[in-house]
Amino acid sequence: MSELLNLPWHEAKTQATARELLDASLRAIDERNPALNAFLHVARDAADGMPVAVKDNIVTIGMPTTCASRILGSFVSPFDATAVARLRQSGCSIIGKTNLDEFAMGSSTEHSAFGTSRNPWDTTRVPGGSSGGSAVAVAARMVPAALGSETGGSVRQPAALCGVVGLKPTYGRISRNGLVAFGSSVDQIGIVTKTVRECADLLGVIAGHDPLDSTSSSASVDDYAADLDAGIRGLRFGVVREAVSQLEGEVRANFDDALTVLRGAGAVIEEVSVPTIGYAIAVYYIVANAEASANLSRFDGIRYGHRSARAKTIREVYFESRGEGFGDEVKRRIMLGTFALSSGYYDAYYGRAQAVRARLRADFDAAFARFDYLLTPTTPEPAFAIGAKTGDPLAMYLSDIFTAPANLVGIPAIAVPSGFSRGKLPLSLQVMGPHFSERALLRAASAFERETGYWRELPPVCT
Amino acid sequence: MKIDRDEAKRIAGLAHLEFDDAGLDRMAGEMTKILSYIDQLREVDIAGFDGGSSTDATPLREDVPRPSIDRAAVASNAPAFSADGHFIVPKVIGE
Repeated sequence: MSELLNLPWHEAKTQATARELLDASLRAIDERNPALNAFLHVARDAADGMPVAVKDNIVTIGMPTTCASRILGSFVSPFDATAVARLRQSGCSIIGKTNLDEFAMGSSTEHSAFGTSRNPWDTTRVPGGSSGGSAVAVAARMVPAALGSETGGSVRQPAALCGVVGLKPTYGRISRNGLVAFGSSVDQIGIVTKTVRECADLLGVIAGHDPLDSTSSSASVDDYAADLDAGIRGLRFGVVREAVSQLEGEVRANFDDALTVLRGAGAVIEEVSVPTIGYAIAVYYIVANAEASANLSRFDGIRYGHRSARAKTIREVYFESRGEGFGDEVKRRIMLGTFALSSGYYDAYYGRAQAVRARLRADFDAAFARFDYLLTPTTPEPAFAIGAKTGDPLAMYLSDIFTAPANLVGIPAIAVPSGFSRGKLPLSLQVMGPHFSERALLRAASAFERETGYWRELPPVCT
Repeated sequence: MKIDRDEAKRIAGLAHLEFDDAGLDRMAGEMTKILSYIDQLREVDIAGFDGGSSTDATPLREDVPRPSIDRAAVASNAPAFSADGHFIVPKVIGE
């Protein structure tokens, strides 16, 4: 029965009923989750339908939302995120909430208050983050699809480390209503699946304008699966020079192999410069943290979540509740963000970062004037060992070096499996496209997937 | 950019976070390291680039009353909630 979950969903549902597929998913979760810690909550009473896991910073009726933090206590949201509501309306079943770095702040899931998740390809290694639980749930074939969220790469990077497909749509493509806010000018819900087609199908379900999110786009929702078989002959791919010039070893070799595959399918590939791309991490860690420092001020012990039992004055309610409830990484980022916005530093830090961001946007616009797509590896290295980077915040931040640019300029980007390292760890190709080019992006990803078929390989836990 | 203990304390106050001295020193050290990486932004030529406000105006909607969140759900999530529908907090005025 669990082999059904290895099939693309459109095939699986021809072979079993919705109830049987849901039960297969629940059984796979019971069997595989204890060793992997992908799920923080499993909805045993989930309705029949395609099981979708939801990252636990996206609110859902009837089950907890913790953001992998102690500060939310036993919070149960009174409303569904718009993306969740749309999934339910289309017949999907919300089967559980997945683990993440606390408040989506991290690149490994190690900053969860409820323990890290583990990479199904090697359980001594991280699954990536912050949407690590979602990536694991799909990679270990516990569910066919999961929602994650992106601020600096948090869907693409764990998808890359776990060998699955991860899409960040254009900023504004998917409503942020119900996604707990981290960096409001970059946040987007993202989709994790094992195949490109499943990703395209889900995007069509959840994309679209939402009156409850004033940053959501009125651009019409496309037929995202329409061009999956159209191929890439004659399409122009730009390899980002500044990204690949630093690559070496297995990641370099794998990326070069990916280019060979694309050329074999008819792609035209040249190098292109995106001169300011190297500054993206620095920009990101000012802008996202500044916005986060404002967004996380709502966790104050007043209306929901943890209120310190020691607090006697209003000041103590705020300071003690936040002190007890937030983890170290969250506090670090709030501090950085507060500093960047504080009087005397605002222009030099936040103002300057936003100006560099505008320049980065101009560099990308110039590149897309000549190319249909831009290419980099998704990550600088495959999955690292649990504990390897937790002592060095900056080293952890550099995991996002290829992913964060797309968040800052708002363009869509997708991570697709591109093979394995010698140690049988997944490697991944990243394709970026201009704003609202998801249909074309999925077309390119699908062509690459068709030529390579890496999604058919299963991690040890599934065999 | 070097952050010392006093600066960390100032920022923590703004952020409504409290640290003991060891925590402040640790935070100061980590912030200093991260900010020195971020300081590379100073070398970028930003002439002509204004990161300021977006050219898009915030979309507005008609001010039409709609149902809001169910009060029972609010009460069940609240740390302290009165029978007549208020969040209970320590004294605010006079602090």
